[in-house]
Amino acid sequence: MSNPKHDKGEHYLTTPKAEPFLERLIFNNRAIILVLLTILTLFLGYNAAKIQPDASFERMIPLEHPYIVNMLEHRDDLENLGNFVRIAVESKDGDIFSPEYMETLKQITDEVFYLNGVDRSGLKSLWTSNVRWVEVTEQGFQGGTVIPDDYDGSRESLEQLRQNVLRSNEVGRLISDNFKSTIVYAPLYETDPETGEPLDYGTFSRQLEEKIREKYEAQNPNIDIHIVGFAKKVGDLIEGIGSIAWFAGITIVLTTLLLFWYSRSVSGTLVPVFTSIIAVFWQLGTLRLLGYGLDPYSVLVPFLVFAIGISHGVQIVNAMAVEAAKGFDAITAARLAFRALYIPGMLALISDAFGFLTLFFIEIDVIRDLAVAAGIGVAFVIITNLVLHVLIMSYIGISKGGVRHVQNHGEKQDRKWRLLSNFSHPSVAPISLLIAVIGLGLGLYYKQDLKVGDLDQGAPELRKDSRYNQDNAYIIDNYSTSADVMVVMVKTPVEQCTQYSVLRAMDSLQWELANTPGVQSTASLADVSKIVTKALNEGNWNWYAISRNQTIINASIRNAPSGLINTDCSLTPLLVFLEDHKAETLQTAVEVVEEFARENSNEEHTFLLAAGNAGVEAATNEVISKAKDMMLIFVYGVVSLLCFLTFRSIRAVLCIVIPLGLTSILCEAIMAVSGIGIKVATLPVIALGVGIGVDYGIYIYSKLEKYLLEGKTLQDAYFETLRSTGKAVVFTGVTLGIGVVTWIFSPIKFQADMGFLLFFMFLWNMIGAIWLLPALARFLLRPERMLEKARTAK
Amino acid sequence: MATSLMRKTLGATCLGLSMACASPAVLAVGDLLETPARPTELAPQSLLNDVAVAGDRIVTAGERGHIIYSDDEGQSWTQAEVPVSVTLTGVDFGTESHGWAVGHSGAVLHSSDSGANWELQLDGIRAAELAIASQEDAIAKMEERVEQAPEEEKEDLEWALDDLFFRLENMQADLDIGPVNPFLDVWFENDSHGFVVGAYGMIYRTTDGGESWQDWSPKLDNPQGFHLNAISSIAGGALFIVGEAGQIHVSIDGGETWERRESPYPGSLFGVIGTGRVNEALAFGLRGTLMYSADLGKSWSVVNTGSTATLNDGAAEGDRIILVGNGGAVLTSGNGGDTFREYLRDDRQGVMGVVPVSDTNLLLVGEGGVKHADPQGKNLQ
Repeated sequence: MSNPKHDKGEHYLTTPKAEPFLERLIFNNRAIILVLLTILTLFLGYNAAKIQPDASFERMIPLEHPYIVNMLEHRDDLENLGNFVRIAVESKDGDIFSPEYMETLKQITDEVFYLNGVDRSGLKSLWTSNVRWVEVTEQGFQGGTVIPDDYDGSRESLEQLRQNVLRSNEVGRLISDNFKSTIVYAPLYETDPETGEPLDYGTFSRQLEEKIREKYEAQNPNIDIHIVGFAKKVGDLIEGIGSIAWFAGITIVLTTLLLFWYSRSVSGTLVPVFTSIIAVFWQLGTLRLLGYGLDPYSVLVPFLVFAIGISHGVQIVNAMAVEAAKGFDAITAARLAFRALYIPGMLALISDAFGFLTLFFIEIDVIRDLAVAAGIGVAFVIITNLVLHVLIMSYIGISKGGVRHVQNHGEKQDRKWRLLSNFSHPSVAPISLLIAVIGLGLGLYYKQDLKVGDLDQGAPELRKDSRYNQDNAYIIDNYSTSADVMVVMVKTPVEQCTQYSVLRAMDSLQWELANTPGVQSTASLADVSKIVTKALNEGNWNWYAISRNQTIINASIRNAPSGLINTDCSLTPLLVFLEDHKAETLQTAVEVVEEFARENSNEEHTFLLAAGNAGVEAATNEVISKAKDMMLIFVYGVVSLLCFLTFRSIRAVLCIVIPLGLTSILCEAIMAVSGIGIKVATLPVIALGVGIGVDYGIYIYSKLEKYLLEGKTLQDAYFETLRSTGKAVVFTGVTLGIGVVTWIFSPIKFQADMGFLLFFMFLWNMIGAIWLLPALARFLLRPERMLEKARTAK
Repeated sequence: MATSLMRKTLGATCLGLSMACASPAVLAVGDLLETPARPTELAPQSLLNDVAVAGDRIVTAGERGHIIYSDDEGQSWTQAEVPVSVTLTGVDFGTESHGWAVGHSGAVLHSSDSGANWELQLDGIRAAELAIASQEDAIAKMEERVEQAPEEEKEDLEWALDDLFFRLENMQADLDIGPVNPFLDVWFENDSHGFVVGAYGMIYRTTDGGESWQDWSPKLDNPQGFHLNAISSIAGGALFIVGEAGQIHVSIDGGETWERRESPYPGSLFGVIGTGRVNEALAFGLRGTLMYSADLGKSWSVVNTGSTATLNDGAAEGDRIILVGNGGAVLTSGNGGDTFREYLRDDRQGVMGVVPVSDTNLLLVGEGGVKHADPQGKNLQ
């Protein structure tokens, strides 16, 4: 403690006084603190182990958006409109008219019938009695089940089946256009009517795989099974979360190896890894105590927490090795490291936390959950890293190997740092700035193509080549249905939902929409009425119209599908099938509906947006577009403010923030080029990237300032900065990058996008801090003035 | 007034530029009889119920007030200016330039420029008022007859009078709802004389190019008011009307008087055409039914088509006969109707009209709009 070098002010920032209060508090009670932290770890670790995956649909949507408010308000009336699975059974050779195919289809239909969660009365397949053919004769209607009553698999009965199929009006719906597959359509209960339990999507989806796909593809090698539907998609997402364990393992192993290569010290490797994992346990345990589960978005947070823990741990290990190399014992080295790092460390971590908190501007629960989870995680890193880590190290110390490594390696690397210090050279800096300006220009140019929303076909949450999206593509190609549905809710007084004026207005809106680019088709009660009115008039197309006669309308919709009229006939949905779910497509359709609703909503009928997956996406896109600028302004505002409060200089703020801004713009350009839209998953990345990216700048600038105030020239000061902290900063960039890069391989598309973008931002922010910050410093900082100011301050 | 004027101008501008006119400024929903057909690129792919020829021009009409015309055998189509948005069911040209189209809500439209622009001449309200007036006339006459009739005939006549009252009540109830009933077909002899026929036995005649209309239903023996589905003239000048429940009515005096013919088939007939030979007619309808008469409909022989599809329209030239119907049915005969070959089109969509534009090319209209087919009905391309 009474080390002679202690008071020379050589090894820590000039700002903190010797032995600040916090340092005394922590280092004078080492044992007690360690015991307390151990108990806390056991408690939270126990809870962390019990955390459950959770993919709640409601948490992924902007609940405060008027569209979603409308949707949830009328959720009971719209029940089952969207929640079904479609199982296409494809015959690989030949068509569906073979006895083997029909037998397999029958067994599959029976198997689906008995799956828990299936609304059996609504189950449809060629083998269910609700699939019928109808024909008009002199006597009236004639019809029957599509499968002939006396079906026996013979050629005659298959021929009869073929005829029935042709007149069933189900081609394109239940039977593919090429007669090579048929669909088993199973509507699902949101909650089991017997037990009252909500449908477990994970289990249901697994049952579809095991009891349907695997079983029957094995039993009949001539069939392929394709399954789509919201429940299957959510099931696949939950499955996807499971593979996260692998990524976690790989990340930890990679980081450990990298850390050992960096420190060459067993304790300097294992302790940061250990304390970072403890931070993750604390974070997960706290989340569980607060009632959260692990959803596909916030599952990213433990990786971030781990990576942040490691990257700050590296600073400590680095600082301790430097001190130990000077001959200090373990506890003194730990104290000095703490003293030097607790301010920039806390500043960096607090700005991380604020970066996360800006996510609260996005009115979507999963994102807010992510903000909470990340905020909690970073708060814990402050303790695990600056307290737990330092205390453990104060007992163990840096191994001799590590110290030697610092001594030898440090000198060997000087030449490299000398070279890099040229970034602050008066003739190199302008070139750097020019390159940065060109980069900025290119970034701004490409960023114009940046789109809001999801851009690919199929389920955007999953990869394009995922089984689900392949199945989805199969069904889109072979059946005349789209997976992107927007539902307009048409509200009327009670018992008035089938009035002529309502159907007429819906029909009119449908025709506007049919004439809107991006709209594939529409459907509503008006279509049912027209088609049945035609059928009731001997199938004569001349009668294809909505009758003005209410009695005829009532007759025409007597057997309308239940989903099209709610129980008290005060709401009827209008379905809009879109070609895709690109933001423009959604926007164009939404604008048509909104204008129509403004003109035509009255006491007879109100047109409300919007349910259906496309309706939800339209609302989400709107929320995201609005939140984006707010969030950027806020995150940059907070980061700038924190830097200003610390360094008391606008010039310092500019040096730190400009490289971040360049990275943000380049990130958006990369998103535009690689076809990643701004969406629920990628918007947080921008905030996270800035919030965490600022760490590098803070570490570099605080050292640089220190050396400048010691009177060194800019390039010398920068050389010293690189020597002392450059390596740690480079290492931090790489560790953070590695912490998230494994995500690129996630089966969940948005996780892959997040991983890719975070990897880019973490690495590029590091490069920005090492390369661009000194160049900016050359132009912005005036060392003489800074010295003068420091002197007068004294 | 201002809005409707604006809409018209806007519609015209859209058409002038191209048929793609994404969104008219006014989206307010009005009555179909007062809402001009929306300019749309989708008209050639939407339901079309009838097709007619005006010189070298093909004109076809269908849902949402769509009328489109082509001067190049159906290769390209232009949408006409139509003041209504009702489903149209029939179109016919009396001369190269004068044509009429009919449809739901009792709409009768007239064009004097070969189908480019249309005006509304009659609507369901006025048509119903005309019918009610003539029904009241009929009742007055019947009451007179009842009074003058001998005691033993009185009871029967009173029943008939009750029927007339009952029908009048129905007509008034319909009128209270609005223009509810559709016309189903139209035929014009020239630019002044023609008939429109429709649901519940509606038939109106004009002799002044549609300036005025007379309720002609009293001239037909159709006491139950069955739908009249189609009207045509055949070589020799006779007029045929066919309809629901095997109705066949023939006029040999240009429509002044009509005679009911017995049908060998009790089901509905949807179309009637001439064969090109004097006094010969083909009538067709439900379940592939086809009947042939060579004596102005006095006697019919049922032709076995081998089809069960509802037949909607047909064309005959010499020995070549083409019939089209629901479920994508195209029936062709090369021997004057002795035998037919049925082809079910891949799309199975209903066909409502056929024009043989050449020996190798049929133009079909119906569900899904305009289609080009080979002589058997198979899609070209």
